[in-house]
Amino acid sequence: MSGVSLKPRAPFEARVDMAGITPVVTCALTLPELERLAVPFGARSVPLAELFFIEGAPEGVLLIEIGDARLDGVGAGMDKGELIVDGPVGAWAGRGMSGGVLRIAGDAGDFLGAELSGGEISLGGNAGERVGTASSGARRGMSGGTIRIAGSVGTRAADRQRGGLIVIDGDAGEGLATDMIAGTVSVAGAIGPRMGRGMRRGTIFASALPDLPAGFVDTGAHELVAVRLIARRVPELAGVLEGWESTRRIVGDTLMGGQGEVLVQA
Amino acid sequence: MIINGVEIRDTFAEAFPMVGTRLIVTADTPEWALTAGRTTTGFATSVIGCGCEAGIERTLAPEETPDGRPGVALLIFAMDFKQLKTVVPLRLGQCVLTCPTTACYAGIEDGKRVPLAKTIRYFADGHQISKKIGDKRFWRLPVMEGEFVCDEDTGSVEGVGGGNFLILARSRGQALKAAEAAVVEMGKVEGVILPFPGGVVRSGSKVGSKYKGLFASTNDAYCPTLRGTVPSQLPAEVGSVMEIVIDGVSFEAVSEATRVGIAAVCALGSEGGVVAIDAGNYGGNLGPFHFKLREIMAADAENGAGGAA
Repeated sequence: MSGVSLKPRAPFEARVDMAGITPVVTCALTLPELERLAVPFGARSVPLAELFFIEGAPEGVLLIEIGDARLDGVGAGMDKGELIVDGPVGAWAGRGMSGGVLRIAGDAGDFLGAELSGGEISLGGNAGERVGTASSGARRGMSGGTIRIAGSVGTRAADRQRGGLIVIDGDAGEGLATDMIAGTVSVAGAIGPRMGRGMRRGTIFASALPDLPAGFVDTGAHELVAVRLIARRVPELAGVLEGWESTRRIVGDTLMGGQGEVLVQA
Repeated sequence: MIINGVEIRDTFAEAFPMVGTRLIVTADTPEWALTAGRTTTGFATSVIGCGCEAGIERTLAPEETPDGRPGVALLIFAMDFKQLKTVVPLRLGQCVLTCPTTACYAGIEDGKRVPLAKTIRYFADGHQISKKIGDKRFWRLPVMEGEFVCDEDTGSVEGVGGGNFLILARSRGQALKAAEAAVVEMGKVEGVILPFPGGVVRSGSKVGSKYKGLFASTNDAYCPTLRGTVPSQLPAEVGSVMEIVIDGVSFEAVSEATRVGIAAVCALGSEGGVVAIDAGNYGGNLGPFHFKLREIMAADAENGAGGAA
Protein backbone atom coordinates (compact mmCIF):
# COMPACT_ATOMS: atom_id res chain seq x y z
CA MET A 1 0.00 0.00 0.00
CA SER A 2 1.52 3.33 -1.01
CA GLY A 3 1.30 6.26 1.33
CA VAL A 4 2.44 7.46 4.71
CA SER A 5 2.33 5.27 7.77
CA LEU A 6 2.46 6.44 11.36
CA LYS A 7 3.55 3.95 13.98
CA PRO A 8 3.44 5.04 17.64
CA ARG A 9 6.85 5.00 19.27
CA ALA A 10 5.27 4.01 22.61
CA PRO A 11 1.88 3.95 24.32
CA PHE A 12 0.74 7.55 24.68
CA GLU A 13 0.99 9.04 28.14
CA ALA A 14 -1.40 11.84 27.28
CA ARG A 15 -4.10 12.48 24.72
CA VAL A 16 -3.03 13.40 21.21
CA ASP A 17 -5.11 15.69 19.03
CA MET A 18 -4.77 14.35 15.49
CA ALA A 19 -7.27 16.77 13.97
CA GLY A 20 -6.00 18.14 10.69
CA ILE A 21 -3.55 15.32 10.03
CA THR A 22 -5.31 14.07 6.95
CA PRO A 23 -4.23 12.31 3.74
CA VAL A 24 -4.29 15.66 1.97
CA VAL A 25 -1.91 17.19 4.47
CA THR A 26 0.47 14.24 4.49
CA CYS A 27 0.52 14.25 0.69
CA ALA A 28 1.29 17.95 0.59
CA LEU A 29 4.29 17.77 2.91
CA THR A 30 7.69 16.16 2.56
CA LEU A 31 8.63 13.59 5.17
CA PRO A 32 10.93 16.06 7.03
CA GLU A 33 8.14 18.63 7.07
CA LEU A 34 5.76 15.98 8.32
CA GLU A 35 8.14 14.99 11.07
CA ARG A 36 8.30 18.60 12.27
CA LEU A 37 4.54 19.07 12.18
CA ALA A 38 3.38 20.18 15.61
CA VAL A 39 0.55 18.25 17.25
CA PRO A 40 -1.16 18.93 20.58
CA PHE A 41 -0.03 16.32 23.09
CA GLY A 42 -1.51 16.68 26.53
CA ALA A 43 -0.94 20.26 27.65
CA ARG A 44 1.86 20.91 25.16
CA SER A 45 2.67 20.65 21.52
CA VAL A 46 5.25 18.27 20.09
CA PRO A 47 6.61 17.37 16.65
CA LEU A 48 4.77 14.47 15.08
CA ALA A 49 8.01 12.50 14.85
CA GLU A 50 8.29 12.57 18.65
CA LEU A 51 5.17 10.42 18.85
CA PHE A 52 5.35 8.32 15.71
CA PHE A 53 7.78 6.55 13.44
CA ILE A 54 6.92 8.05 10.06
CA GLU A 55 7.54 6.05 6.94
CA GLY A 56 6.49 5.89 3.32
CA ALA A 57 5.97 8.38 0.55
CA PRO A 58 3.70 11.40 0.73
CA GLU A 59 0.99 9.98 -1.53
CA GLY A 60 -2.07 7.77 -1.36
CA VAL A 61 -3.33 6.39 1.93
CA LEU A 62 -2.53 7.59 5.41
CA LEU A 63 -2.13 4.62 7.76
CA ILE A 64 -1.95 4.69 11.53
CA GLU A 65 -0.46 1.29 12.16
CA ILE A 66 -1.39 0.85 15.79
CA GLY A 67 -4.43 2.67 17.05
CA ASP A 68 -4.81 4.03 20.54
CA ALA A 69 -7.82 5.24 22.52
CA ARG A 70 -5.87 8.38 23.32
CA LEU A 71 -5.73 9.46 19.68
CA ASP A 72 -8.45 12.08 19.43
CA GLY A 73 -9.73 13.78 16.29
CA VAL A 74 -8.42 11.15 13.90
CA GLY A 75 -9.55 12.09 10.41
CA ALA A 76 -11.22 15.26 11.64
CA GLY A 77 -11.63 17.73 8.81
CA MET A 78 -10.89 15.20 6.06
CA ASP A 79 -12.22 16.18 2.67
CA LYS A 80 -10.73 13.47 0.49
CA GLY A 81 -8.35 10.56 0.51
CA GLU A 82 -8.27 7.51 2.71
CA LEU A 83 -7.18 7.18 6.32
CA ILE A 84 -6.88 3.74 7.89
CA VAL A 85 -6.41 3.04 11.58
CA ASP A 86 -5.40 -0.44 12.61
CA GLY A 87 -6.85 -0.34 16.09
CA PRO A 88 -8.94 1.91 18.33
CA VAL A 89 -9.21 5.69 18.31
CA GLY A 90 -10.30 8.25 20.86
CA ALA A 91 -12.99 10.90 20.71
CA TRP A 92 -14.02 13.10 17.82
CA ALA A 93 -12.83 10.76 15.05
CA GLY A 94 -14.01 12.02 11.67
CA ARG A 95 -15.39 15.22 13.16
CA GLY A 96 -16.49 17.63 10.44
CA MET A 97 -15.41 15.33 7.61
CA SER A 98 -16.71 16.42 4.22
CA GLY A 99 -15.27 13.68 2.05
CA GLY A 100 -12.91 10.75 1.84
CA VAL A 101 -12.89 7.48 3.69
CA LEU A 102 -11.95 6.83 7.29
CA ARG A 103 -11.58 3.16 8.26
CA ILE A 104 -11.06 2.27 11.88
CA ALA A 105 -10.49 -1.34 12.77
CA GLY A 106 -11.16 -1.03 16.51
CA ASP A 107 -13.40 0.94 18.84
CA ALA A 108 -13.99 4.69 18.79
CA GLY A 109 -14.60 7.12 21.61
CA ASP A 110 -17.37 9.67 21.89
CA PHE A 111 -18.54 11.98 19.13
CA LEU A 112 -17.55 9.74 16.23
CA GLY A 113 -18.48 11.53 13.00
CA ALA A 114 -19.78 14.59 14.76
CA GLU A 115 -21.03 17.15 12.21
CA LEU A 116 -20.06 14.89 9.33
CA SER A 117 -21.17 16.43 6.03
CA GLY A 118 -19.76 13.93 3.55
CA GLY A 119 -17.52 10.97 3.09
CA GLU A 120 -17.60 7.61 4.78
CA ILE A 121 -16.59 6.34 8.19
CA SER A 122 -16.31 2.63 8.79
CA LEU A 123 -15.82 1.35 12.32
CA GLY A 124 -14.93 -2.25 13.12
CA GLY A 125 -15.74 -2.09 16.83
CA ASN A 126 -17.99 -0.18 19.19
CA ALA A 127 -18.47 3.58 19.41
CA GLY A 128 -18.97 5.77 22.42
CA GLU A 129 -21.64 8.36 23.00
CA ARG A 130 -23.15 10.78 20.49
CA VAL A 131 -22.21 9.26 17.17
CA GLY A 132 -22.97 11.64 14.30
CA THR A 133 -24.19 14.31 16.64
CA ALA A 134 -23.47 18.01 17.03
CA SER A 135 -20.60 19.41 18.99
CA SER A 136 -21.45 21.04 22.28
CA GLY A 137 -23.30 24.23 21.53
CA ALA A 138 -23.82 23.46 17.85
CA ARG A 139 -27.37 23.29 16.58
CA ARG A 140 -27.06 20.49 14.08
CA GLY A 141 -25.37 17.13 13.89
CA MET A 142 -24.17 15.29 10.83
CA SER A 143 -25.70 16.49 7.58
CA GLY A 144 -24.39 13.99 5.06
CA GLY A 145 -22.10 11.06 4.48
CA THR A 146 -22.22 7.59 5.95
CA ILE A 147 -21.15 6.10 9.26
CA ARG A 148 -21.08 2.33 9.38
CA ILE A 149 -20.52 0.67 12.75
CA ALA A 150 -19.97 -3.04 13.10
CA GLY A 151 -20.51 -2.98 16.86
CA SER A 152 -22.74 -1.05 19.21
CA VAL A 153 -23.00 2.63 20.06
CA GLY A 154 -23.48 4.54 23.29
CA THR A 155 -26.14 7.04 24.23
CA ARG A 156 -27.58 9.82 22.12
CA ALA A 157 -26.37 8.65 18.72
CA ALA A 158 -27.79 10.71 15.84
CA ASP A 159 -28.64 13.53 18.22
CA ARG A 160 -29.75 16.51 16.08
CA GLN A 161 -28.75 14.62 12.94
CA ARG A 162 -30.00 16.47 9.86
CA GLY A 163 -28.85 14.22 7.01
CA GLY A 164 -26.74 11.28 6.00
CA LEU A 165 -26.83 7.67 7.06
CA ILE A 166 -25.78 5.81 10.20
CA VAL A 167 -25.83 2.02 10.05
CA ILE A 168 -25.35 0.23 13.37
CA ASP A 169 -24.97 -3.51 13.26
CA GLY A 170 -25.15 -3.84 17.03
CA ASP A 171 -27.18 -2.09 19.71
CA ALA A 172 -27.89 1.61 20.24
CA GLY A 173 -27.92 3.20 23.67
CA GLU A 174 -30.48 5.42 25.31
CA GLY A 175 -31.81 8.51 23.58
CA LEU A 176 -31.09 7.52 19.98
CA ALA A 177 -32.11 10.20 17.45
CA THR A 178 -33.07 12.77 20.06
CA ASP A 179 -34.12 15.99 18.32
CA MET A 180 -33.31 14.37 14.97
CA ILE A 181 -33.97 16.77 12.08
CA ALA A 182 -33.53 14.49 9.04
CA GLY A 183 -31.45 11.63 7.74
CA THR A 184 -31.52 7.88 8.21
CA VAL A 185 -30.41 5.52 10.96
CA SER A 186 -30.52 1.76 10.95
CA VAL A 187 -30.08 -0.36 14.07
CA ALA A 188 -29.85 -4.11 13.72
CA GLY A 189 -29.68 -4.78 17.46
CA ALA A 190 -31.59 -3.52 20.46
CA ILE A 191 -32.43 0.16 20.92
CA GLY A 192 -32.26 1.76 24.34
CA PRO A 193 -35.12 3.64 25.97
CA ARG A 194 -36.38 7.11 25.15
CA MET A 195 -35.38 7.15 21.52
CA GLY A 196 -36.68 9.83 19.15
CA ARG A 197 -37.69 12.44 21.72
CA GLY A 198 -38.16 15.72 19.86
CA MET A 199 -37.63 14.01 16.50
CA ARG A 200 -38.80 16.26 13.67
CA ARG A 201 -38.14 14.24 10.54
CA GLY A 202 -35.88 11.43 9.47
CA THR A 203 -36.12 7.66 9.37
CA ILE A 204 -35.07 5.00 11.85
CA PHE A 205 -35.00 1.39 10.66
CA ALA A 206 -35.32 -0.81 13.72
CA SER A 207 -35.15 -4.58 14.01
CA ALA A 208 -37.78 -4.60 16.74
CA LEU A 209 -40.25 -2.10 18.10
CA PRO A 210 -38.30 0.13 20.51
CA ASP A 211 -39.46 1.89 23.63
CA LEU A 212 -40.83 5.14 22.26
CA PRO A 213 -41.94 8.37 23.91
CA ALA A 214 -45.63 9.20 24.14
CA GLY A 215 -45.48 11.43 21.09
CA PHE A 216 -45.10 8.53 18.66
CA VAL A 217 -48.16 7.20 16.83
CA ASP A 218 -48.42 3.76 15.27
CA THR A 219 -49.93 4.12 11.78
CA GLY A 220 -50.04 0.37 11.19
CA ALA A 221 -48.44 -1.92 8.63
CA HIS A 222 -47.93 -0.80 5.03
CA GLU A 223 -46.34 -1.94 1.81
CA LEU A 224 -43.92 0.92 1.30
CA VAL A 225 -42.35 1.36 -2.12
CA ALA A 226 -39.86 3.70 -0.47
CA VAL A 227 -38.42 0.79 1.51
CA ARG A 228 -37.89 -1.19 -1.68
CA LEU A 229 -36.25 1.85 -3.25
CA ILE A 230 -33.93 2.46 -0.30
CA ALA A 231 -32.98 -1.22 -0.24
CA ARG A 232 -31.81 -0.94 -3.83
CA ARG A 233 -30.33 2.54 -3.80
CA VAL A 234 -28.45 2.29 -0.51
CA PRO A 235 -26.05 -0.65 -0.59
CA GLU A 236 -25.40 -0.30 3.14
CA LEU A 237 -29.06 -1.08 3.84
CA ALA A 238 -29.63 -3.79 1.26
CA GLY A 239 -29.00 -6.57 3.75
CA VAL A 240 -30.95 -4.89 6.53
CA LEU A 241 -34.05 -4.44 4.39
CA GLU A 242 -33.94 -7.71 2.53
CA GLY A 243 -37.29 -9.45 2.69
CA TRP A 244 -39.20 -6.45 4.03
CA GLU A 245 -42.57 -6.88 2.38
CA SER A 246 -44.63 -5.11 4.97
CA THR A 247 -43.48 -2.27 7.20
CA ARG A 248 -44.92 -0.99 10.44
CA ARG A 249 -44.65 2.78 10.51
CA ILE A 250 -44.58 4.76 13.75
CA VAL A 251 -44.57 8.53 13.36
CA GLY A 252 -43.29 11.12 15.80
CA ASP A 253 -42.48 13.02 17.82
CA THR A 254 -45.97 14.43 17.31
CA LEU A 255 -45.79 16.34 20.59
CA MET A 256 -43.19 18.48 18.84
CA GLY A 257 -45.12 18.53 15.56
CA GLY A 258 -42.60 16.05 14.22
CA GLN A 259 -43.01 13.78 11.22
CA GLY A 260 -40.09 11.48 11.81
CA GLU A 261 -40.67 7.77 11.44
CA VAL A 262 -39.58 4.52 12.96
CA LEU A 263 -39.92 1.64 10.51
CA VAL A 264 -40.04 -1.94 11.69
CA GLN A 265 -40.56 -5.03 9.59
CA ALA A 266 -44.17 -6.13 10.13
CA MET B 1 -32.25 2.16 -55.00
CA ILE B 2 -34.58 -0.80 -54.90
CA ILE B 3 -34.73 -3.27 -52.01
CA ASN B 4 -36.84 -6.39 -52.49
CA GLY B 5 -38.81 -4.65 -55.20
CA VAL B 6 -39.44 -1.56 -53.07
CA GLU B 7 -38.17 1.74 -54.40
CA ILE B 8 -36.23 3.82 -51.88
CA ARG B 9 -36.76 7.32 -53.17
CA ASP B 10 -33.85 9.72 -53.36
CA THR B 11 -35.06 12.07 -50.69
CA PHE B 12 -34.69 12.77 -46.99
CA ALA B 13 -36.71 13.26 -43.83
CA GLU B 14 -36.29 16.67 -42.33
CA ALA B 15 -36.32 16.84 -38.55
CA PHE B 16 -36.09 19.46 -35.85
CA PRO B 17 -34.33 19.93 -32.54
CA MET B 18 -36.47 19.14 -29.54
CA VAL B 19 -35.75 18.83 -25.84
CA GLY B 20 -36.78 15.66 -24.13
CA THR B 21 -36.70 13.67 -20.97
CA ARG B 22 -37.20 10.10 -19.87
CA LEU B 23 -39.36 8.97 -16.97
CA ILE B 24 -39.20 5.54 -15.41
CA VAL B 25 -42.64 4.59 -14.12
CA THR B 26 -43.02 1.46 -12.03
CA ALA B 27 -46.03 -0.31 -10.57
CA ASP B 28 -46.97 -3.49 -8.73
CA THR B 29 -47.77 -5.24 -12.02
CA PRO B 30 -46.65 -4.79 -15.63
CA GLU B 31 -50.27 -4.05 -16.54
CA TRP B 32 -50.55 -1.07 -14.20
CA ALA B 33 -47.16 0.23 -15.28
CA LEU B 34 -48.34 0.06 -18.87
CA THR B 35 -51.62 1.75 -17.96
CA ALA B 36 -49.71 4.60 -16.37
CA GLY B 37 -47.44 4.82 -19.38
CA ARG B 38 -50.27 4.89 -21.87
CA THR B 39 -52.18 7.48 -19.90
CA THR B 40 -49.15 9.71 -19.41
CA THR B 41 -48.27 9.61 -23.08
CA GLY B 42 -51.83 9.99 -24.29
CA PHE B 43 -52.83 13.00 -26.36
CA ALA B 44 -49.19 13.67 -27.14
CA THR B 45 -48.92 12.91 -30.83
CA SER B 46 -47.74 16.27 -32.07
CA VAL B 47 -46.50 19.50 -30.55
CA ILE B 48 -48.77 21.27 -33.00
CA GLY B 49 -51.84 20.50 -30.93
CA CYS B 50 -50.70 18.66 -27.81
CA GLY B 51 -47.86 20.76 -26.44
CA CYS B 52 -45.54 17.79 -26.46
CA GLU B 53 -44.84 14.47 -28.12
CA ALA B 54 -44.59 11.42 -25.93
CA GLY B 55 -44.54 7.68 -26.04
CA ILE B 56 -43.54 4.49 -24.30
CA GLU B 57 -39.94 3.82 -25.18
CA ARG B 58 -39.99 0.28 -23.83
CA THR B 59 -41.16 -1.90 -20.99
CA LEU B 60 -38.75 -2.62 -18.15
CA ALA B 61 -38.16 -5.81 -16.22
CA PRO B 62 -38.13 -5.53 -12.40
CA GLU B 63 -34.35 -5.83 -12.27
CA GLU B 64 -34.03 -2.76 -14.49
CA THR B 65 -36.03 -0.40 -12.30
CA PRO B 66 -35.03 1.55 -9.20
CA ASP B 67 -37.52 -0.16 -6.90
CA GLY B 68 -37.39 -3.64 -8.37
CA ARG B 69 -40.90 -3.61 -9.78
CA PRO B 70 -42.00 -3.85 -13.40
CA GLY B 71 -42.01 -0.58 -15.24
CA VAL B 72 -42.02 1.43 -18.42
CA ALA B 73 -39.63 4.00 -19.82
CA LEU B 74 -41.39 7.03 -21.23
CA LEU B 75 -39.93 9.71 -23.47
CA ILE B 76 -41.49 13.16 -23.57
CA PHE B 77 -40.36 15.83 -26.04
CA ALA B 78 -41.21 19.51 -26.36
CA MET B 79 -40.06 22.31 -28.62
CA ASP B 80 -38.22 24.13 -25.83
CA PHE B 81 -37.14 23.58 -22.26
CA LYS B 82 -39.70 25.93 -20.80
CA GLN B 83 -42.50 23.96 -22.40
CA LEU B 84 -40.96 20.68 -21.24
CA LYS B 85 -40.86 21.96 -17.66
CA THR B 86 -44.55 22.74 -17.98
CA VAL B 87 -45.89 19.57 -19.56
CA VAL B 88 -43.92 16.98 -17.59
CA PRO B 89 -45.18 17.90 -14.10
CA LEU B 90 -48.70 18.23 -15.50
CA ARG B 91 -48.68 14.73 -16.95
CA LEU B 92 -46.92 13.37 -13.88
CA GLY B 93 -49.52 14.85 -11.59
CA GLN B 94 -52.56 13.88 -13.59
CA CYS B 95 -51.54 10.53 -15.01
CA VAL B 96 -48.86 8.89 -12.86
CA LEU B 97 -49.67 10.17 -9.40
CA THR B 98 -53.29 9.15 -9.89
CA CYS B 99 -52.56 5.68 -11.23
CA PRO B 100 -52.67 2.88 -8.63
CA THR B 101 -49.38 1.54 -7.22
CA THR B 102 -47.11 3.65 -9.40
CA ALA B 103 -43.84 5.37 -8.60
CA CYS B 104 -41.84 7.64 -10.88
CA TYR B 105 -38.08 8.04 -11.27
CA ALA B 106 -35.62 10.01 -13.33
CA GLY B 107 -34.66 8.27 -16.54
CA ILE B 108 -31.92 10.69 -17.53
CA GLU B 109 -29.26 11.85 -15.11
CA ASP B 110 -27.55 14.61 -17.07
CA GLY B 111 -28.69 17.87 -18.62
CA LYS B 112 -30.99 20.62 -17.44
CA ARG B 113 -33.27 19.53 -14.64
CA VAL B 114 -36.96 18.94 -15.26
CA PRO B 115 -39.01 19.09 -12.06
CA LEU B 116 -40.95 16.02 -10.97
CA ALA B 117 -41.83 15.81 -7.27
CA LYS B 118 -40.17 19.17 -6.88
CA THR B 119 -43.40 20.54 -8.30
CA ILE B 120 -46.10 18.03 -7.42
CA ARG B 121 -45.03 17.34 -3.84
CA TYR B 122 -47.28 20.13 -2.66
CA PHE B 123 -50.23 17.88 -3.39
CA ALA B 124 -49.35 16.19 -0.09
CA ASP B 125 -50.32 19.35 1.73
CA GLY B 126 -47.35 19.40 4.08
CA HIS B 127 -47.27 15.64 4.71
CA GLN B 128 -44.65 15.05 2.02
CA ILE B 129 -41.39 13.46 3.14
CA SER B 130 -38.09 13.79 1.33
CA LYS B 131 -35.13 11.48 1.51
CA LYS B 132 -31.73 12.26 0.07
CA ILE B 133 -29.56 9.37 -1.00
CA GLY B 134 -26.17 10.41 -2.29
CA ASP B 135 -26.83 13.34 -4.58
CA LYS B 136 -30.39 12.28 -5.35
CA ARG B 137 -33.49 13.33 -3.47
CA PHE B 138 -36.80 11.54 -3.70
CA TRP B 139 -40.15 12.34 -2.19
CA ARG B 140 -42.89 10.32 -0.58
CA LEU B 141 -46.41 11.65 -0.90
CA PRO B 142 -49.11 10.09 1.24
CA VAL B 143 -52.12 9.18 -0.93
CA MET B 144 -55.33 7.31 -0.24
CA GLU B 145 -53.92 4.09 -1.66
CA GLY B 146 -50.65 4.32 0.32
CA GLU B 147 -47.66 6.34 -0.78
CA PHE B 148 -46.50 7.80 -4.06
CA VAL B 149 -42.73 7.76 -4.42
CA CYS B 150 -41.12 10.10 -6.91
CA ASP B 151 -37.69 11.49 -7.70
CA GLU B 152 -37.31 15.22 -7.19
CA ASP B 153 -36.38 15.85 -10.80
CA THR B 154 -34.99 14.28 -13.93
CA GLY B 155 -32.43 15.26 -16.53
CA SER B 156 -33.01 16.21 -20.13
CA VAL B 157 -31.46 15.88 -23.55
CA GLU B 158 -31.42 17.86 -26.73
CA GLY B 159 -33.04 15.42 -29.09
CA VAL B 160 -34.52 15.16 -32.52
CA GLY B 161 -38.19 15.36 -33.42
CA GLY B 162 -40.01 14.69 -36.62
CA GLY B 163 -37.91 11.98 -38.20
CA ASN B 164 -40.20 10.16 -40.59
CA PHE B 165 -40.76 7.97 -43.59
CA LEU B 166 -43.73 7.22 -45.77
CA ILE B 167 -44.88 3.80 -46.87
CA LEU B 168 -46.49 3.85 -50.30
CA ALA B 169 -48.50 0.66 -50.90
CA ARG B 170 -51.07 -0.68 -53.27
CA SER B 171 -53.87 -0.94 -50.74
CA ARG B 172 -54.78 0.36 -47.32
CA GLY B 173 -54.47 -3.09 -45.80
CA GLN B 174 -51.03 -3.61 -47.27
CA ALA B 175 -49.85 -0.17 -46.18
CA LEU B 176 -51.04 -0.81 -42.66
CA LYS B 177 -49.52 -4.25 -42.47
CA ALA B 178 -46.17 -2.84 -43.57
CA ALA B 179 -46.43 -0.02 -41.06
CA GLU B 180 -47.23 -2.47 -38.28
CA ALA B 181 -44.19 -4.55 -39.17
CA ALA B 182 -42.02 -1.44 -39.04
CA VAL B 183 -43.41 -0.37 -35.68
CA VAL B 184 -42.60 -3.75 -34.14
CA GLU B 185 -38.98 -3.55 -35.21
CA MET B 186 -38.56 0.13 -34.41
CA GLY B 187 -39.89 -0.50 -30.93
CA LYS B 188 -36.72 -2.46 -30.23
CA VAL B 189 -34.52 0.58 -30.79
CA GLU B 190 -33.59 2.35 -27.58
CA GLY B 191 -33.97 6.09 -27.33
CA VAL B 192 -36.85 6.61 -29.73
CA ILE B 193 -40.62 6.84 -29.64
CA LEU B 194 -43.26 6.78 -32.33
CA PRO B 195 -45.72 9.27 -30.86
CA PHE B 196 -48.71 8.70 -33.12
CA PRO B 197 -51.49 6.14 -32.54
CA GLY B 198 -49.94 2.70 -32.67
CA GLY B 199 -46.85 4.39 -34.04
CA VAL B 200 -48.56 5.14 -37.36
CA VAL B 201 -49.89 8.33 -38.95
CA ARG B 202 -52.56 8.02 -41.59
CA SER B 203 -52.97 11.77 -41.99
CA GLY B 204 -49.53 13.20 -42.62
CA SER B 205 -49.47 16.95 -42.99
CA LYS B 206 -47.80 19.63 -45.01
CA VAL B 207 -46.84 23.00 -43.64
CA GLY B 208 -49.50 25.71 -43.97
CA SER B 209 -53.05 25.85 -45.22
CA LYS B 210 -55.32 27.85 -47.42
CA TYR B 211 -57.16 28.72 -44.23
CA LYS B 212 -55.80 31.54 -42.12
CA GLY B 213 -54.52 30.43 -38.73
CA LEU B 214 -53.92 26.79 -39.60
CA PHE B 215 -50.27 25.79 -39.31
CA ALA B 216 -50.64 22.44 -41.02
CA SER B 217 -53.02 20.73 -43.36
CA THR B 218 -53.42 17.44 -45.17
CA ASN B 219 -50.45 16.38 -47.25
CA ASP B 220 -52.43 16.46 -50.48
CA ALA B 221 -49.50 15.39 -52.64
CA TYR B 222 -49.71 11.99 -50.94
CA CYS B 223 -53.49 11.64 -50.78
CA PRO B 224 -54.46 8.90 -53.23
CA THR B 225 -58.00 10.21 -53.65
CA LEU B 226 -56.62 13.53 -54.94
CA ARG B 227 -54.32 12.03 -57.54
CA GLY B 228 -54.73 13.96 -60.73
CA THR B 229 -56.34 16.94 -59.06
CA VAL B 230 -53.16 18.14 -57.30
CA PRO B 231 -49.43 17.79 -58.05
CA SER B 232 -49.24 14.22 -56.73
CA GLN B 233 -46.25 12.20 -55.59
CA LEU B 234 -48.10 8.94 -56.01
CA PRO B 235 -47.77 6.61 -58.97
CA ALA B 236 -50.94 5.07 -60.27
CA GLU B 237 -50.58 1.78 -58.41
CA VAL B 238 -50.39 3.39 -54.97
CA GLY B 239 -53.69 3.20 -53.14
CA SER B 240 -52.68 4.16 -49.62
CA VAL B 241 -49.86 5.86 -47.72
CA MET B 242 -48.93 5.50 -44.07
CA GLU B 243 -46.36 7.63 -42.28
CA ILE B 244 -44.22 6.78 -39.31
CA VAL B 245 -42.94 9.69 -37.25
CA ILE B 246 -39.92 9.25 -35.00
CA ASP B 247 -38.69 11.31 -32.06
CA GLY B 248 -35.43 10.36 -30.44
CA VAL B 249 -32.80 11.32 -27.92
CA SER B 250 -30.17 11.63 -30.65
CA PHE B 251 -29.68 11.80 -34.41
CA GLU B 252 -28.15 8.33 -34.31
CA ALA B 253 -31.14 6.81 -32.51
CA VAL B 254 -33.60 8.25 -35.02
CA SER B 255 -31.42 7.18 -37.91
CA GLU B 256 -31.22 3.62 -36.61
CA ALA B 257 -34.97 3.47 -36.03
CA THR B 258 -35.51 4.70 -39.57
CA ARG B 259 -33.21 2.01 -40.90
CA VAL B 260 -34.82 -0.91 -39.07
CA GLY B 261 -38.30 0.37 -39.89
CA ILE B 262 -37.65 0.64 -43.60
CA ALA B 263 -35.89 -2.72 -43.56
CA ALA B 264 -38.95 -4.31 -41.99
CA VAL B 265 -41.15 -2.80 -44.66
CA CYS B 266 -38.82 -3.90 -47.41
CA ALA B 267 -38.82 -7.42 -46.01
CA LEU B 268 -42.46 -7.59 -47.04
CA GLY B 269 -41.37 -6.24 -50.39
CA SER B 270 -43.36 -5.68 -53.52
CA GLU B 271 -45.06 -9.01 -52.95
CA GLY B 272 -46.49 -7.50 -49.80
CA GLY B 273 -47.89 -4.64 -51.81
CA VAL B 274 -45.26 -2.09 -50.89
CA VAL B 275 -44.37 0.17 -53.82
CA ALA B 276 -41.98 2.75 -52.43
CA ILE B 277 -40.54 4.46 -49.36
CA ASP B 278 -40.62 8.23 -49.30
CA ALA B 279 -40.06 10.88 -46.62
CA GLY B 280 -41.45 14.23 -45.61
CA ASN B 281 -39.33 17.35 -45.85
CA TYR B 282 -39.62 21.06 -46.42
CA GLY B 283 -36.86 21.43 -48.94
CA GLY B 284 -34.20 21.31 -46.29
CA ASN B 285 -34.74 24.89 -45.21
CA LEU B 286 -36.51 24.39 -41.89
CA GLY B 287 -34.99 21.51 -39.97
CA PRO B 288 -31.26 21.02 -39.42
CA PHE B 289 -31.46 17.22 -39.25
CA HIS B 290 -31.67 15.44 -42.60
CA PHE B 291 -32.18 11.68 -42.72
CA LYS B 292 -31.26 10.70 -46.26
CA LEU B 293 -33.09 7.49 -47.02
CA ARG B 294 -30.61 6.04 -49.48
CA GLU B 295 -27.65 6.75 -47.22
CA ILE B 296 -29.39 5.16 -44.27
CA MET B 297 -30.35 2.09 -46.29
CA ALA B 298 -27.09 1.76 -48.17
CA ALA B 299 -25.69 -0.97 -45.95
CA ASP B 300 -28.91 -2.97 -46.10
CA ALA B 301 -28.99 -2.62 -49.86
CA GLU B 302 -25.37 -3.75 -50.15
CA ASN B 303 -26.06 -6.72 -47.93
CA GLY B 304 -28.58 -7.79 -50.51
CA ALA B 305 -31.60 -7.34 -48.34
CA GLY B 306 -34.10 -8.52 -50.85
CA GLY B 307 -32.33 -7.66 -54.07
CA ALA B 308 -30.88 -4.20 -54.26
CA ALA B 309 -30.61 -2.51 -57.62
